[in-house]
Amino acid sequence: MPQPPTTIVDELGIALSNMADAATGAFTPTLRLGVTGLSRAGKTIFITALVHNLLTGGRMPGFAPLAEGRFIGARLAEYPDATIPRFAYEQHLETLTGKQPAWPEGTRRISQLRIVLKYQSRHWYNGLRGPSTLNLDIVDYPGEWLLDLPLLGLSFAEWSAEALERARRPSSIKEAGPVLALLDSIDPLKPANDPDAERLATAFTDYLRRSREDGALSTLPPGRFLLPGDLEGSPALTFAPLPPAMHSMRSDSLYAMLAGRFEAYKAQVVRPFFRDHFARLDRQVVLVDTLRALNAGPAAVADLETALTAVLACFRQGEANPLLRPFARRIDRILFAATKADHVHHTSHDRLGAILNRLVSSASKRARFSGADTRSLAIAGLRATREGTISDAGQTLPTLIGTPIAGEAMDGTTYDGITEIALFPGDLPERPDSLFEDGTPVSLNFLRFAPPQHLERNANGDVVLPHIRFDRALDYLIGDWLA
Amino acid sequence: MKRPIARPVDAADQDTAKARAPRAFAPSDVQLSEAVFDTAASEGLVAPPPRRMTWWGRLLWTTGSILVSAGLGLAADRLIRDLFAANPWLGWLGLGVLALFLLAALALGIREFFALRRLHALDALRRDASRAVADNDQQLAHNITDHLTSIYASRPDLARARQTVTENLPHLFDGHEIVAMTERSLMAPLDARAKALTAASARRVALVTAVSPRALVDIAFVIYESVRLAGAIAALYGARPGFFGFWRLTGAVLTHLAVTGGLVLTDGIVEQLVGQGLAAKLSARLGEGVVNGLMTVRVGIAAMRVVRPLPFETQPQPVVRDFIPELTRLATDPTKP
Repeated sequence: MPQPPTTIVDELGIALSNMADAATGAFTPTLRLGVTGLSRAGKTIFITALVHNLLTGGRMPGFAPLAEGRFIGARLAEYPDATIPRFAYEQHLETLTGKQPAWPEGTRRISQLRIVLKYQSRHWYNGLRGPSTLNLDIVDYPGEWLLDLPLLGLSFAEWSAEALERARRPSSIKEAGPVLALLDSIDPLKPANDPDAERLATAFTDYLRRSREDGALSTLPPGRFLLPGDLEGSPALTFAPLPPAMHSMRSDSLYAMLAGRFEAYKAQVVRPFFRDHFARLDRQVVLVDTLRALNAGPAAVADLETALTAVLACFRQGEANPLLRPFARRIDRILFAATKADHVHHTSHDRLGAILNRLVSSASKRARFSGADTRSLAIAGLRATREGTISDAGQTLPTLIGTPIAGEAMDGTTYDGITEIALFPGDLPERPDSLFEDGTPVSLNFLRFAPPQHLERNANGDVVLPHIRFDRALDYLIGDWLA
Repeated sequence: MKRPIARPVDAADQDTAKARAPRAFAPSDVQLSEAVFDTAASEGLVAPPPRRMTWWGRLLWTTGSILVSAGLGLAADRLIRDLFAANPWLGWLGLGVLALFLLAALALGIREFFALRRLHALDALRRDASRAVADNDQQLAHNITDHLTSIYASRPDLARARQTVTENLPHLFDGHEIVAMTERSLMAPLDARAKALTAASARRVALVTAVSPRALVDIAFVIYESVRLAGAIAALYGARPGFFGFWRLTGAVLTHLAVTGGLVLTDGIVEQLVGQGLAAKLSARLGEGVVNGLMTVRVGIAAMRVVRPLPFETQPQPVVRDFIPELTRLATDPTKP
């Protein structure tokens, strides 16, 4: 039986925090935007682009408050929770737009940011007291940690069965070989001792790391094994899946010890993360790196779908009830965004959208059933390519012009990160289902492009970030709060 | 007293309907009898177009106009001959005047032609824009935006808006987004000014009605003001209607009023009654003034809908309700125009 992700005590805490927010937010409401996405989905770029475009009033014709001239400005503010680092917006922007533009490195720890937006309401009763303000809270975190959320509903036995089943699949037997051999040599019913637990945990972590580096699998909890942060080596991170115990076990057996540690991991690592950052969201954007999964093949695509469905089932979605909002917040709008839309030609964006819809179909059905509104878009927070056409062997091919990052290879050519090329990445399939079928050859090769070299500057000297449909994404997510 | 009788009914009919055995055929042998799903609107729901002129009617007008132009040509010819007969220099003068007249007529004709084409172009733009939004057609939306910026290229008041449009255009990939951006930047300032023009006209009409001594004066003024308003709004949106263009515009506005009359009425009926009631309590003439003002407002709204080159997608449609405050303010405070 699946367990609820939170305990009664958590629920009380969440309700109290909501009430505190409602009390402080009586004059300045706070909108909590949940940026969710597995690792390398583009969360950091999305947040950086969001902050920069709001702060500088970037080029966003589709963002209604700005286009209608009602958006007055934004500034960064101190985040109320003093124990969590601030999102290093300036640093990320510098990396993206500096002399040697590069994509920021993967996020390794959690960080938060609050932006205060000032706008004039369109409603006369809000306009009476002049410009209104809205606090926008955003959290950035390693995408690997997101995979832990489904663990909240699983017991140790259920998780072990799932993890071992996945490890024994033929596709991952190479990476999982050592850990499976070690598991066979250890009797789970023998008295608990730490060296065994440590050996198991090390082997399991190696397996997780290697399957991630091969890029084939995206759904491998527990996420903290890969990015432990401060918890490295602590007992809560020293466990591994064990085959189900046949006999009744003693409470001092290895199995009981690891099961206890798994519960501790859930209770002391995952649940606070969920409770503090995801249980009280108003809006959610789900970033999906479709192209990377397409490059990797059908198994990765199917994996991505499973991971997204499992992760999104943990969120509290549903119609926002204005009477209950002071106590219980719900996500009433979810945007599914296929990121890196600049890596395909705009004529293929429809197909990219169709693939995204197929990937998130069960998650979005579930969300719509609970009353939330969903939409999907193909977006790019920072557009790295230009578009053009090329004629090759009598065919006119839509191409992308950009600089592939160093080390990207295609047809035996490895690019150095300086040469600019025109790329035709192949046609996306018309029928999204064909991506899930083995045997259908899908010839696609999406190279990763470096951030644009030369960026325009506006009248104030601020960099203007080119984007694709980012303004519409933003309009959907926060536009109605600024109405 | 009759005896009861029981007689078996004829059961032959029931026996013939035997259960048929299942059989399979090749699909090529089948005659398709599936009803074709027709997406076109059913004919009964669309009013038939107005009847074109009959053949006899067309013959009448054609022959009539040939006779009239022949008569005119003959008259001109005779006039010039007479002038030459009277005095050669008078004849030359008459010929010169005639030439100037023909030149002016030609120039006017060309201008009318372009004005009519401009009206047509605005119509076509609106249709295309609706299609670009529905189909999300980027190329079509691009063309519409280019066309619109070229129409407004000589307008100094839209310089900023044109710049916004040209700057944003290369970064948009969706047809409906391009149309929305163009509407927001180019149409919104024009909408605001068209509304201001309408409100000013309505106020003038209401004031004149309230103080005019004769009903005929009000009617004349309402017509004059409506014609002026429609022309001003058309010019504002870039239509520059000439004489014939103006007839077409008037026709379109009147058709629009007839078609949407009920619609507009329901939209503002409550406010109209309220406005009239309030104003009528103060003075019967003021009440009439408000009603006449509302009439002008409707003409203004109809003209906006007819000549605006983009459909109302992001901007709110103007409704009678928007103008009520202007009129009732006038009604309650007649000293202020």
